[in-house]
Amino acid sequence: MNAQGRQKTWQDLIAVADLEQGDATPVMLGRRELAVFDTVDGIFVSLARCTHGAANLCDGYFDGRHIECPLHQGLFDARTGQPKAAPARVPLRMVESRVVDGRVQVLL
Amino acid sequence: MAAPVLTPITQALNDGALTRKELKALMRRSDWPAARRLVIWIAALLVTGSMIWLSMGTWLVWPAMFVHGILMVHHFSLQHECVHYTPFKTRWLNDVAGNICGFIIALPHQYFRYEHCDHHTHTQLKGYDPELIELPISVWKYLWYISSVPYWWAKIKEFSRHIAGHMSEGDKVFVPKEAYQAVFWEARIMAGLYAAILIFCIATGWWAPLWYWWLPVLLGEPVMRWIRLTEHVGRPNVRDMRENTRTNLISAPLAFLSWNMNYHAEHHYAASVPFHALPKLHEKLDGYVYVEPRGYLGAHIDIISQLIGRKPRSDMQGESAKA
Repeated sequence: MNAQGRQKTWQDLIAVADLEQGDATPVMLGRRELAVFDTVDGIFVSLARCTHGAANLCDGYFDGRHIECPLHQGLFDARTGQPKAAPARVPLRMVESRVVDGRVQVLL
Repeated sequence: MAAPVLTPITQALNDGALTRKELKALMRRSDWPAARRLVIWIAALLVTGSMIWLSMGTWLVWPAMFVHGILMVHHFSLQHECVHYTPFKTRWLNDVAGNICGFIIALPHQYFRYEHCDHHTHTQLKGYDPELIELPISVWKYLWYISSVPYWWAKIKEFSRHIAGHMSEGDKVFVPKEAYQAVFWEARIMAGLYAAILIFCIATGWWAPLWYWWLPVLLGEPVMRWIRLTEHVGRPNVRDMRENTRTNLISAPLAFLSWNMNYHAEHHYAASVPFHALPKLHEKLDGYVYVEPRGYLGAHIDIISQLIGRKPRSDMQGESAKA
């Protein structure tokens, strides 16, 4: 049950084939801006905005493990959301995800 | 968390100035372009340093130190790139190179990184951009800025403050509390090393740092101030990146010295694009950003024209005019 009392459900997000291979893909889910990371360890999803300057992380440099903010080059581990370099300090909010029948789904 | 912001690069993507695929290709990192450039850089330092050595004891040592100093103060350009973690793919190499450059020109790297973040967030906005250089009120004030006296005076005050463990109200805006001690200790370590080198010189009579480093940096700094004026000064104090920043088209040797930072508007659009890809980004953003085709000289003609009343002052346009 989430804060609004609604049960979290798996929601269809994007086809794996439509992802930017080895990179970060911006996806809107309703009004939510999500970032889908095609990492060396699989697919991970987080809220798309940097927790420091609120820039869209999908426009930043991604090396397969870490996403760098396009505005100030703060660094996050895209697999855990942990901040890895200043000015990033607050972790990214990760969203539980899975791949079913070639489609990325998120639990929201 | 701050409200979502529309970064310049997202704006450019939305406007179709370039595609995501093009942007991502331009962002690719490598250690090699910077390594190659550094080899030439060090060779150039050896050449200009040799000029000082050969002219020592004659009046020619002063022009030799000036030429060497121009190269020395351009360590700022590499340090600036390192602040953005773009010259080297190996991230820690950017920290190493940035700190070395910062030590050479007395610009503490951690402090500069935080300050520069806010410069990119609030580019050219009065009261918000911590690196904003205001359009001088007269030609004399313009020359006074280029003299570098105000620059060094501000630096002495900044070092003294941080060594004493104080943050100014201006610093507190962009340096997070968690980083205060890092900034204080960075200033203390740098000042301590400078003092140790000076004491060593006095004790041994070996004055090479003075002739090959400190005097050249002092002589060269006005050139760096002259170049830094061309980036934003004389452009309107507005948020629109197409207006507030100037790209200067300059000769290949000057672009080499500045690590392509003359493509300044392109850099502000996509700060994650490394120096070696900025000329290609310039081609993509051609017509989208403000370009001064006459280079640094043209930028100064523009600035001076505003100072002597031949052109309207840029600080009387846009958001600053309403203040």
